[in-house]
Amino acid sequence: MELALANIFFNRKAKNSKAVKQHNLTHAEVNRPYVIRGIDTDDRSVKDFLFTLGCYEGEKVTVISVLADNYIIHVKDARYSIDRDLAKAILI
Amino acid sequence: MRIALAGNPNSGKTTLFNAITGRIEHVGNWPGVTVAKKEGDVKKELNRSGMDIRAVDLPGAYSISPFTSEESITSSFVRNEHPDVIINTVDATSLRRSLFFTTQLLELGIPVVVALNKIDLVKKKGIVIKTEKLAEKLKCRVVETSSAHKKGLSELIAAAAEVCGKGQEAPFRGAVDLDSTDEAAVEAVDRERFAFVDRLVSEVEIRKTDSAAQTMQDAADRIIAHKYLGIPIFAVVMFLVFQISQVWLGPWLADYFVGIIDSFQGRVEGLLGDGVSPLLSALLLDGIIGGVSAVVGFLPLIMVMFFLLALLEDCGYMARVAVVMDRYLKKVGLSGRSIIPMILGTGCAIPGVMATRTIRDLRQRRTTAMLTPFMPCGAKLPVIALFAGVFFEDAGWVGPLMYFAGIAIIIIGALIVKNIAKEGPAKTFFIMELPEYRFPGIKRAAISMLSRAKHFIIKAGTIILVCNAVVHIMQTFTWSLQVVEEGMENTSILASIASPFAFLLIPLGFGAWQLAAAALTGFIAKENVVGTLAVVYSISNFIDTEEFVLVSGAGDVASALGLTSVSALAYLMFNLFTPPCFAAIGAMNAEMGSRKWFWAAIGFQFGMGYTVAYLVNQIGTLITTGSFGDGVIPGLLAVACYVGILVYLMYRKEQGAAAGVKEAA
Repeated sequence: MELALANIFFNRKAKNSKAVKQHNLTHAEVNRPYVIRGIDTDDRSVKDFLFTLGCYEGEKVTVISVLADNYIIHVKDARYSIDRDLAKAILI
Repeated sequence: MRIALAGNPNSGKTTLFNAITGRIEHVGNWPGVTVAKKEGDVKKELNRSGMDIRAVDLPGAYSISPFTSEESITSSFVRNEHPDVIINTVDATSLRRSLFFTTQLLELGIPVVVALNKIDLVKKKGIVIKTEKLAEKLKCRVVETSSAHKKGLSELIAAAAEVCGKGQEAPFRGAVDLDSTDEAAVEAVDRERFAFVDRLVSEVEIRKTDSAAQTMQDAADRIIAHKYLGIPIFAVVMFLVFQISQVWLGPWLADYFVGIIDSFQGRVEGLLGDGVSPLLSALLLDGIIGGVSAVVGFLPLIMVMFFLLALLEDCGYMARVAVVMDRYLKKVGLSGRSIIPMILGTGCAIPGVMATRTIRDLRQRRTTAMLTPFMPCGAKLPVIALFAGVFFEDAGWVGPLMYFAGIAIIIIGALIVKNIAKEGPAKTFFIMELPEYRFPGIKRAAISMLSRAKHFIIKAGTIILVCNAVVHIMQTFTWSLQVVEEGMENTSILASIASPFAFLLIPLGFGAWQLAAAALTGFIAKENVVGTLAVVYSISNFIDTEEFVLVSGAGDVASALGLTSVSALAYLMFNLFTPPCFAAIGAMNAEMGSRKWFWAAIGFQFGMGYTVAYLVNQIGTLITTGSFGDGVIPGLLAVACYVGILVYLMYRKEQGAAAGVKEAA
């Protein structure tokens, strides 16, 4: 019981500190290459879909420009327009 | 033998398909245009193998594991239907991404030929690809192609014919019996696959410039898809499209064209002579030829418009419009992908509604299918052009206004549906590959325009012709099958059917049965509105061949129709924003897959059309004459009823909403 409680507490703490520390693509400087640290989403299929585009941890990503609420990113020699929510999910 | 065309979205599959089969499927310079598979026979002049070759165009996919519905069509086809050869179109400018899918296709054991497409762009960008080495490493044939410029096509078909019947070796093999539920293992294999592709690409490709570098295109994007400038730019572009097609170039072409129709009508009249019964000759001349030619007269104008829209799509602008609109659509609970059906809907609502299947979330998909028909389609253009010409002196602003009114209704409608369905949408993501700007292909646009024109003429010669004949007969005879006497037009079959509807339309400013009849035939095909008006008011041609204006004797036509400019605008909007034609309604039914949603959509569209027309007419009349128009109170009751139902649905108890949603799902 105690252990479980401790676990919950610990996990929550870990999660909170993670949220503060991590930077995502919305914080990226335009035109500077970054390395993707991870994809933060509850939706497994979104992660898998991004993977097929070559957007996964360890890969390089560059924000080309920010248009309206969309981010033009460069991954694996191709350009995509992604929305803000998706940009938030890509941790750098 | 059967060839499947598979590749990443926007890698040029449909362009290749059209080039090798001579078909004219809709191509857009942006991803997600093809949503269902299409088949066609390979042209004889490209095919020297002597075999009959059938090509199957598949929707774009990034991988063999289906994440989107288009991807699942593609993966189930290549896995289950055993094509003899797979032609994998690869965008040669982004090998690092594209070859991921290629390596998956190579594992299937079906012979693969890689079409290294967009090879012209590769050279322009200063990229060098060692094609032979690539073929050697991939263990399959690689052919350089440029489907937009029709290069390398016969070599591609020859290669496909050659490998037919042979097996395929895989250069990279993930564990075949891998348990697909073991996510970590699948990911590990895919990571290796990407690593394999990376190694391969660094061996075969030399890039002189960094593809992440800023280009002129990016600078252009920053203006064209700007947060605030994007919408005004779009408005100006649409205004120009209308100005050119309806004021500058359209009338000039229409002039010439209508001359031909007129002389045809004259010749038929001469051929009939005096020996033919006047009833029959009236049916033929006024009913059939008059009605059809009133519609066909607008053909040049529509062709100019579609030509311009095809140019816009081809140069890559429409993809930017999707980016600009995304944020607005998301705020009202739609998906960013919803813009694709809507832009396709400007051509015809049917492919537009069908394209909604690329939207993952069920509620968003149904909402989009319900709202797409509010976008004025090609069939509604003659109606817009007619009213702009008759009542607004060919003003170029009428057309764009209708488009923006459509967009406004879509946004309001989406907000209403969002509040009624109350279902928090699954978090959706918008991702779209931005195609490069390119100089639009004049020939491609011309082909797209001609195919539209062909459909238009076929429709005019079939459905519209029959409708006009029926309308003419119905207005010529009474129920007792007597010919309607002069001055007793109200006794005709048509008048008695349309009158009850006309009564309902009085608050909207157009209570004449003729106008109601035209609106009714509009549900069969929207062009019928123009045809029926021509028949019931016996105006043989709206387009003048003498003057350089689109609509002849605008004043005469206006007085025949008996409408003020305000009620004309209301009538126009009523026709545009009520439910679409039956064919599009059928498509809506198919894509929604729920009776409840379907009927709700029809009711919503009727109510919306009525309300918009009512407001335009009453408020417009109040402004222009200082008092409300006829039937303001009964109309207000009807509109209040409609709004009341919507408000009730939006604010009903949560519990009820949840049950409703469950039922709908």
